[in-house]
Amino acid sequence: MNEKELIGTEQIEPITEGETEYDFYFGPAHSGSGNFGVRLKIDGEKVIAARADPGYLHRGFEKLMEYRVPMQNAVLSDRVCILEALNWNLVHAEAVDELTGVEVPQRARYIRVLMAELSRLQSHLIWYGVMSLALGFDTGFKMAFGYRDYILDVFELITGGRVYPAGYICPGGVRKDLPEGYEAKIRRVLDQTEEMMQKMKHFDNVVFARRAKGVGVLNLEDALRLGTTGPVLRACGMKTDVRKDDPYEIYDGLDFDTPTEKEGDAYARCLVRGKEMEESIRIVKQVLDRMPEGKVREPAKIPPPSRVKIPEGEVYVRNELARGEGCIYMRSVGGREPYRVKIRGPDFLHMIPVLEHLLKGAQIADIPAIYWSLNICPADMDR
Amino acid sequence: MAETTHKENKVIDKISSKFKIEGKLQRERRIWVATDKESLIALCNFAKDLGFEHLSAISVTDWPEEGTFELTYHLWSYSEKILLTIKTKIDRTNPTVDSVIPVWEENAQIHERELHELFGVEFKGNEDLAPLFLEDWDGPPPFRKDFDWRESVRHRYYDKANERERAYWD
Amino acid sequence: MVKQATKMKRLIKAIWIFNWFNSCGFAELVPVVGSRWDMERFGMIITGTPRHADVLFIAGYQTFKSIRRAQVIYEQMPDPKAVIALGACTMSGGMYWDSYNTIKNLSDYIPVNMYIPGCPPRPEAIFEACMKIFHHVGAVPPHGRKFAKSHSR
Repeated sequence: MNEKELIGTEQIEPITEGETEYDFYFGPAHSGSGNFGVRLKIDGEKVIAARADPGYLHRGFEKLMEYRVPMQNAVLSDRVCILEALNWNLVHAEAVDELTGVEVPQRARYIRVLMAELSRLQSHLIWYGVMSLALGFDTGFKMAFGYRDYILDVFELITGGRVYPAGYICPGGVRKDLPEGYEAKIRRVLDQTEEMMQKMKHFDNVVFARRAKGVGVLNLEDALRLGTTGPVLRACGMKTDVRKDDPYEIYDGLDFDTPTEKEGDAYARCLVRGKEMEESIRIVKQVLDRMPEGKVREPAKIPPPSRVKIPEGEVYVRNELARGEGCIYMRSVGGREPYRVKIRGPDFLHMIPVLEHLLKGAQIADIPAIYWSLNICPADMDR
Repeated sequence: MAETTHKENKVIDKISSKFKIEGKLQRERRIWVATDKESLIALCNFAKDLGFEHLSAISVTDWPEEGTFELTYHLWSYSEKILLTIKTKIDRTNPTVDSVIPVWEENAQIHERELHELFGVEFKGNEDLAPLFLEDWDGPPPFRKDFDWRESVRHRYYDKANERERAYWD
Repeated sequence: MVKQATKMKRLIKAIWIFNWFNSCGFAELVPVVGSRWDMERFGMIITGTPRHADVLFIAGYQTFKSIRRAQVIYEQMPDPKAVIALGACTMSGGMYWDSYNTIKNLSDYIPVNMYIPGCPPRPEAIFEACMKIFHHVGAVPPHGRKFAKSHSR
């Protein structure tokens, strides 16, 4: 097999004699990267230019959704990005709910927010584990994945699946009611997560401070121009959160803050995520205190798919995922399947323009720190 | 409802007084506006000056019976907290439209590159329309409605001669 | 063939894994490395290079772009080696059976020794497969067979 065909260096200009520049492919099987490639042009130890090479995970998700009815799409929608499956479930369910105009019961809304915030917690724990591994702090990796498993136990108790909840948050509400004893278990899990945050000093430890400070600095003007959203934008100093600016479900009735930092480097992003985890714990406690009684799905009995039609219309739904702003544009012409679904994930912008911008001028040794501080998920980018 | 949608109505009035087009208020924080291809860039610049500085997504919907592609630009304003969607239709047999890179720069460039690969839409003014996801793809643009995935998968993977897969061919 | 199997049975007491973590199927492999389902107590570690590995874990769906890389990685692994395929997508295409860009049957591209069902497979299932792989070492395919040129699309 021709190696040149695989790497495809024709997009980068050829190296001229006598210079110290060379091409480097930071590839999909490298232990410092995910399944995503970046073509780098390097001079000595410094990166001059970067070009992202996505597409290892492209399934054509948006058109797959056109072949399936909404209840099937609810199961498929958690596979947009495995690391925050319930959040994507929620985005899709909200889009279909807004199209059909159904009034989701209050108890279902509270359960949806509960699951979404727990999913945000476990996503930040994954990020913390992988970031620690990339920066050489193995204890953080073991602690994060150890404590994350308790949250997955809660998911298994409520939805039946550890990572994929099989479309638990479906159009109309949630699939089934919470089981016995969920509250005690969730409170215990929150205590354990807080214990872990105490031990890890809220992500403010000396390893991160030495290796991530001043690395990958993104200033606010560039961030807005490149389409950054989420914790990366909040670390540049912009106080914005879709849960507060464009509220959905019951977020306008809950009490939580939006943490920001000003420096915009990798260390600031770590601190922002640590504080966000505390805010999520606060939200879950409020939801547990206020959980109302009632139905959990409207209609209570799911009609057979051959009889359900989505009314004609178009919607654009925006949610705050753990990584940024996740949106779905859904257009229907009155049939059983949606006519067009456009999924906009936060990583589409973070991994291509923002990463190329940040890698320019960086040292090779800092590439994992920059990469993982953006909290990327290649599946979200390729869909 | 009137007082909660006050600022959305102000935005609609500003746009319709300048461009003579109808703005639709779907609910609070959601405005939909349809325009024609020629005034697209002018409307985008006007929207950016009104405060819609964040381009959330660009999408293409394929209408084969009408013979058009419908482009939608979803814009969010951090200051006004409103989502404005601009829709425009272009011809399907010769799909070209002006690129919005002068307005939203790299953010728009990557969205247009993806749509060029998946739908075949030409964006005039976007120099970098190299394939993004697919490697060595020689088929039609994959997301168009006339490329039926289930048929193509059936032909490629299911064997007519195999007894057990006969059911997929009946 | 018999000699290779007995050689492998003697050499492999604990397998070293190269993890081609391409897609969502891998997400339960990371807790396997973590502290709750610790796999290091069985002697299994994840290596950074295919040249040190005994077993290749192919997790989840593969697109045409990534299966070409996986084939190169398979050929870089030294004999004796085994391939374990994780997830429903490697068997029949899984959830994305009607996608134009994913492969439907992994064994058309790489010889597979063991499939683990699940979407994604639980860590206990992965452990069970790793214990069972020792019984199947006799089924290692003869070395020297190149898969890169067949089924390149």
